[in-house]
Amino acid sequence: MSPRGIERRRLLGHVGSAVVGAAVAVPTTALLLDTESGHSPSSSPTPGPIPISPYGAHQPGITAPPPAATAIVALDLLDEVDRAAAVRLLKVWTTDVVAMAEGRPVPGDPARDLAQSASLTVTVGLGHRAVRRWGLDVPELARVPAMRHDRLEPRWCGGDLVAVVGGADATSVAHAARTLVRDARPFARLRWQQEGSWRGTDGSGHRATGRNLFGQVDGSANPPAGSELFERTVWIPRGPWAGGTTLVVRRIRMTLDTWEELTREEMEASIGRDLASGAPLTGGDELSDIDPEARTEGRWTIARDAHALRSHPSRNGGARIHRIGANWTETVPTATGSRVESGLLFSSYQADVDRQFTRIQQSLDESDALNEWTTAIGSAEFAILPGLREGGWLGETVLT
Amino acid sequence: MRINLPYRTTLAAILATALLGFAACGDDKADAEPKDTNTQAVAAAVSVSEPWARGTVGSEDPTMSAAFMMLDNAGTEDVTLESASSDVAGRTELHEMAMKDGKMVMQQVEGGIVVPAGKDMLLQPGGYHVMLMDLNRELVPGEEINLVLGFSDGSNVTVTVPVKEFTEEEGHYHEPGTPEHTHGGDDKVVKPSDEAATPSEDAEDDHEGHEH
Repeated sequence: MSPRGIERRRLLGHVGSAVVGAAVAVPTTALLLDTESGHSPSSSPTPGPIPISPYGAHQPGITAPPPAATAIVALDLLDEVDRAAAVRLLKVWTTDVVAMAEGRPVPGDPARDLAQSASLTVTVGLGHRAVRRWGLDVPELARVPAMRHDRLEPRWCGGDLVAVVGGADATSVAHAARTLVRDARPFARLRWQQEGSWRGTDGSGHRATGRNLFGQVDGSANPPAGSELFERTVWIPRGPWAGGTTLVVRRIRMTLDTWEELTREEMEASIGRDLASGAPLTGGDELSDIDPEARTEGRWTIARDAHALRSHPSRNGGARIHRIGANWTETVPTATGSRVESGLLFSSYQADVDRQFTRIQQSLDESDALNEWTTAIGSAEFAILPGLREGGWLGETVLT
Repeated sequence: MRINLPYRTTLAAILATALLGFAACGDDKADAEPKDTNTQAVAAAVSVSEPWARGTVGSEDPTMSAAFMMLDNAGTEDVTLESASSDVAGRTELHEMAMKDGKMVMQQVEGGIVVPAGKDMLLQPGGYHVMLMDLNRELVPGEEINLVLGFSDGSNVTVTVPVKEFTEEEGHYHEPGTPEHTHGGDDKVVKPSDEAATPSEDAEDDHEGHEH
């Protein structure tokens, strides 16, 4: 099957063309390798990744299942990039985003043969300076104040623009991130790029919440996509930013060496969940709510500083977030070789940074057993643009 | 890199030629109004995707640019891209890069660009491209221009072409046009200056002008 020419189109511009498919993800069918030959039989190829439509009221990467591969790029605007130039940049990116979603090469791609269907999503947002420079008003976007436990490194902080690239494989994601940065060159320069991976399927190929590198099921408390609770938690409800949201990107370093010294019981107590299933220690299954008041033999079943309790809506005035994780490792050179740092690239989506993310984070900064093994080393906030209309361009409701 | 002088000289000659040819070239398809463009039956065979044009901001010669795209012929007959026009360009030609005497040079395509039946054809830097000359304004990355493509089956296709920054070394693809070119194959390239008389040491960065 030719990667191009699947669809025929005649009129194109920044907005690309027809869409393929709808926003759905389907469990990857487990493929048994033929271990004799080392290859799967060529007669029965694995079903390819399903394209995720770039169009809709919201950018699709936020509600899509956590992608296997993620790259987040943050860019800084060149001095002369005014509002008119912003529109041009967003039109260039819109062309790219649509082509990537459809598995087509972007126009002028010097490595166009890399393009193939990879369930790519690109989520685009604006940082504080862009919002200010272009005269936009996003009261929901706020700076996250410094936390006592933070050890922020400037190389992982800030940025005037963001593009969160998600996809089914790291090669496609790397190429897409590179393309977006290259095509932004007349307007902006890369500030930082962070990558991560996520395993959103279980051993039999069914969708699963996925785990961080501590082995914890991570994301169980997310409001279910499409639910009324999700809508209320994530989307900015009205105004030019309606359908948009805010994103806080936190780079969390996780100290595996000391974490691994814990007993399993201690590990579970620190988070308040069963490691194997992700279920609260108060019972039920992974998606059951925790029971903050439950006692076992007179003592709290869930420790008062357990992560799941400290971050629970009941302890934070009802505040919630929608979190998407991506695991990272970073090889750091040493005098004699290298060592590896591990962590979580943590994306928090919420309608309002102050009322949701910051509220919960301050509660965790005050007390959270996990603070002993986790440290934020990067932090950035962005206003995420509303969804893309077919024939439109990203940001048109906020910039026109 | 070298030869600024021959480049400019050549360019002046080209522009003079361009002016002569303006009436003939400039008014063809662009003004021919969309009566053909809307005729699906005529234009159905070839589709256009991945169109883009090179921005001219900061470029060596902002009066010229090039457009690239994928042409896909779904039909059962070969179709030739015969002409192109745009309201931003006084003159538009179909060009190719070809080896001449050991040097890569740009030249007008004789007889147009054939898209074989059932095949596609990529117009790209270093290969076939639509040369936009005599630009009447700067092309800024992120804007869109219109391009009307005329095909041998009588169809005209209007394409909205996004302008992007040019990311490769300009000299590769942006040499001055050769309007009156008649190089068929075995030809002697007449150098416009003595300096260019030394045979090829750098194939890519020479701004060859071929005038006859």
